[in-house]
Amino acid sequence: MTAALLLPAGLAVLAAVAIPLLVHLARRTQAVPTDFAALRWLRQRPRPRQRPRFDEWPLLVARLLLVALLALFFARPVLIGEAQPRAIVAAVPGADTRGLGERAVWLAPGFPPVTDPAPAGYVPVASLLRELDATLPPGARLTVRVPATIEGADAERPVLSRAVDWQVVTGRMAPPRATTPVAVRLAVRDGGVAGAAYLRAAAVALGHRDAGSAAAPLPHAGALAWFVPGAVPDKVRDFAARGNVVLLPVTASLPGAETVWRDRLGASVAEGTAVGRGRMLRFVRPLVPAALPALVEPDFPDRLAEAIAPPRARPSRATARDLAPVIGDRAAGEGLATTDLRPWLALAVALLFLAERWLATRRRRAVTP
Amino acid sequence: MTADPLPPGTRARLAGLRLVTRRASGAGGIGLHASRSRGAGLEFAQYRPYEPGDEPRQIDWKLYARADRFFVREAERESPVALWTLVDATASMAQADARAPDWTRWAAARAMAAALGELALAGGDRFGWVVLAQEGLELAQPAAGVRQRDRLRRELAALRGAGRFPAPDRLAPVFERIAARDLVVMLSDFFDPAAVATATRLADAGREVVAIQLLTVAERDFDFAGGHRFRDPETGEELLGDADALRADYLARFADARAALTAEWEAHGVRHATYVLDEPLDAPLRRLFA
Repeated sequence: MTAALLLPAGLAVLAAVAIPLLVHLARRTQAVPTDFAALRWLRQRPRPRQRPRFDEWPLLVARLLLVALLALFFARPVLIGEAQPRAIVAAVPGADTRGLGERAVWLAPGFPPVTDPAPAGYVPVASLLRELDATLPPGARLTVRVPATIEGADAERPVLSRAVDWQVVTGRMAPPRATTPVAVRLAVRDGGVAGAAYLRAAAVALGHRDAGSAAAPLPHAGALAWFVPGAVPDKVRDFAARGNVVLLPVTASLPGAETVWRDRLGASVAEGTAVGRGRMLRFVRPLVPAALPALVEPDFPDRLAEAIAPPRARPSRATARDLAPVIGDRAAGEGLATTDLRPWLALAVALLFLAERWLATRRRRAVTP
Repeated sequence: MTADPLPPGTRARLAGLRLVTRRASGAGGIGLHASRSRGAGLEFAQYRPYEPGDEPRQIDWKLYARADRFFVREAERESPVALWTLVDATASMAQADARAPDWTRWAAARAMAAALGELALAGGDRFGWVVLAQEGLELAQPAAGVRQRDRLRRELAALRGAGRFPAPDRLAPVFERIAARDLVVMLSDFFDPAAVATATRLADAGREVVAIQLLTVAERDFDFAGGHRFRDPETGEELLGDADALRADYLARFADARAALTAEWEAHGVRHATYVLDEPLDAPLRRLFA
């Protein structure tokens, strides 16, 4: 068990101990005049005392302690390795939980106990495994019950700091919500930029007939080819930010964009960037067959439809055996359980503050520094 | 009825005391003090029917001529001694010790004046008072009786110490009203030379003067600690100093000043006593009159 400071820079608050020191050095006893009628027999000593003196020692000590505790509070003290190793059993929602004790938890956000109903919906199993591993004290044994097929894997096999008892049991997880590809309606606004006719033709080929001039009203949702010279107006940006797609000609500028569409030879056709909840795409070449041979390929409308379609969900299904965690080469101390001492410090600060107020306001005091 | 200004227990200790004058050779009337005059006093009080045993010379013969009955003329008792209490009401009298902030020098002076009034009342003497304040004197002609005592309590209760010692021209009533052979008790701290001069001038003019100096404990012991900003309540003058460094020098100077004051009292024939605020109130009276 070791005490440590998470934010040692917070100790800079210790400089504030100068405040009570100065307050008590200010010698407020001299600020309040003392009536003394026999003043004519008092004479100023030629040599005043040089030694600094503090008034009201108990109050000063209380205030210094208060400042020091506050500085410690800001430095975020923790106790490391305080918790004892223990065993924990986690069950993936959908797995068979028969025979599990009261202490077992669901592998779901917040890790509710298994006595609660199983959490419904999609569960990021791999991510939760890493979180559970990081929050457990070192040495705690982890047992995970999983069904044979896991929904919620991600691109990496979980690499944990401990060996996991990986029990594959019966049961099945709720499958992720199926997303059926929906055709995005493409509207074309032709302001005279070269190549708009190709897009209009592609839209007609895809079955969408919403074409018009720049003055025509924008569609409610879907994709919009904005082939109007000049800067992109705000209403088009807002249209994109609402979760839609805007196609721009090569003359438009789109800073920070990355290539999202390549032709058969690997050359870039369009680049795109996220705007709000939607995207903006820009053709990097003029829409003429000489510059963009893909324009006259027969699958140009299909490629265009792919580019403006929403991104597909990543596959997340894996067999439990393939997702069994491996022990990583992390340092043993990483992910140690820590106990935050700040609540206790806050209590001590509050008590000390009360004591300081009592010392400062009790009746038997001559003056009030 | 104003509250009794005397601290509890003081009245019992005052019981054995009585006002003593050095020149109590009263020619005025009847009282505890020895009187050379015979018969009744001067102030007419009442007629009462003659009773056997009354002296014939006390019968009012003119009234007998009118009423055909004997009436005896009675006079009020009149003491030969009038007690004047001169109370200093300057700002320095409002000073008190930190340990007893309510027991100011003025409170002590008021209680002392009340105690003197009780003594005069017990002895049948007339008593009056003068409050010496900057804006003017409050003067009460000597009279005897419980009403005068109540008036003393009532008038002094309303006052507080403020201002400086009155100018000499304002003090003229003191010298006009206080008759020769009257007993004058002056209550003050006697830090202001004008106060001392008033007392010595009265003594030189043939009045019997008793000076009671009222001191706070701090003035006697200088029991301050640490730094203080001392302020003279009358002049407003301030002095910043460390009490520990000032103490020895102050005590020596103050003792010299008190010795000088004592010598001056002796030179002018003024009886004197000192009362420090932590003593029982009757202690100076006991030293003076017991």
